Amino acid sequence: MKLKLSIAVAGAGLLMMGLPIAAHHSFAAEYDSTKKVELKGVVTKFEWTNPHAHFYIDVTDPSGKVAHWNLELASPNMMQRNGWTRHSLKEGDVVVVVASQAKDGTATASAQTIQKSDGTKLTFMAAPPPPDVK
Amino acid sequence: MRTVVRRSFVIGYVLAVTVAAVSLAVAQDAAPAPGAAKGQAKGQKGGGKGRGPAGPTGPAPRMADGTPDLAGAWMGSGSNSGDISKGLKPGEQVIMQPWAEALMKTRKSQDDPEANCLPTGVPRGAPYPWRIVQTPERYYILFEGNIHSFRQIFMNGKHPDDPDPTWYGHSIGTWDKDTLVVDSVGFNDKFWFDYLGHPHTEKLHTIERYTRTDLGNMTIDVTIDDPGAYTKPFTTTGRARLQPNTELLEYVCQENNIDLVHVNAPAQLP
Repeated sequence: MKLKLSIAVAGAGLLMMGLPIAAHHSFAAEYDSTKKVELKGVVTKFEWTNPHAHFYIDVTDPSGKVAHWNLELASPNMMQRNGWTRHSLKEGDVVVVVASQAKDGTATASAQTIQKSDGTKLTFMAAPPPPDVK
Repeated sequence: MRTVVRRSFVIGYVLAVTVAAVSLAVAQDAAPAPGAAKGQAKGQKGGGKGRGPAGPTGPAPRMADGTPDLAGAWMGSGSNSGDISKGLKPGEQVIMQPWAEALMKTRKSQDDPEANCLPTGVPRGAPYPWRIVQTPERYYILFEGNIHSFRQIFMNGKHPDDPDPTWYGHSIGTWDKDTLVVDSVGFNDKFWFDYLGHPHTEKLHTIERYTRTDLGNMTIDVTIDDPGAYTKPFTTTGRARLQPNTELLEYVCQENNIDLVHVNAPAQLP
């Protein structure tokens, strides 16, 4: 199957209009963009739901203590338009996530990049096209 | 657990989201992606101020009777949804009544109706596509989000004498040459004009002017007249861009709106 890829540079126009791309609430009111966390963990749940998709990971520290992180993504509709599917993440996936943590200090964050153990890289709203289907 | 907190030299969210918006628009010959129509419009060019990729070029289409045809999925709006005072026509000013300015200063992000899955009202836009459907007596604006709802525009109609206050008001439409003019009254005072929380009252009267300037672009000017909250009317201006390969998708915001428990902050830009 032939895939046609076109690069759509939308950011400048969006910023000029002052519009968020995929958030229906203020990102800045919830997250601290200067407080980045890098988390390695195992996906326990992927919620392909509006207004935002979420996935949850268990992160185990060297002492064996497990932290449960809630990671927010864009809306499924806009993610679909940029390559994500409801199968892009699944329970058991091992991931490394770079995210902005919530200002309230809870284990909540807005995921910016997600690297899966198979090398697949996803972002807040974009994903590579799915593999070729015979 | 490996947790690295970096407090400096961090690219902010705006830039990150901008990068995210360098989107891969995938059109598959055998299986179009959900929300995407098969095929790509010819003659696309980059640039422009609207949302998303540049639309196709060419003249604005017309219906069989010569009326401009506004059909299509669009993204964009007639005002700046972050701060309505940033998207004004030249020479315009937003001057609030003192009580309105005081109210705005008390507003918090978690109380934004839009963040609580309630309608954006008029003229605030949302980062989702919308579609105009033209029938002889009524035009409809279908919103993917937020919320997944619609406006009705009664062509050549009349406002009721005492409309119930509603989120989208009562709208009547007329054509001024090639511009669709939508006159609306009967709004409630619940929605915010923007993320900053610019308020309004039930005296709000809006006049939207939609002009499809070519195949891929539409200008939208909106005059806001609310003597209850502002000292004089003002006019905003914005642009929408045609999304030729886009279908509206279901968007039910109430499904899983779990983030606001983590928000406790003054109303602020996205």
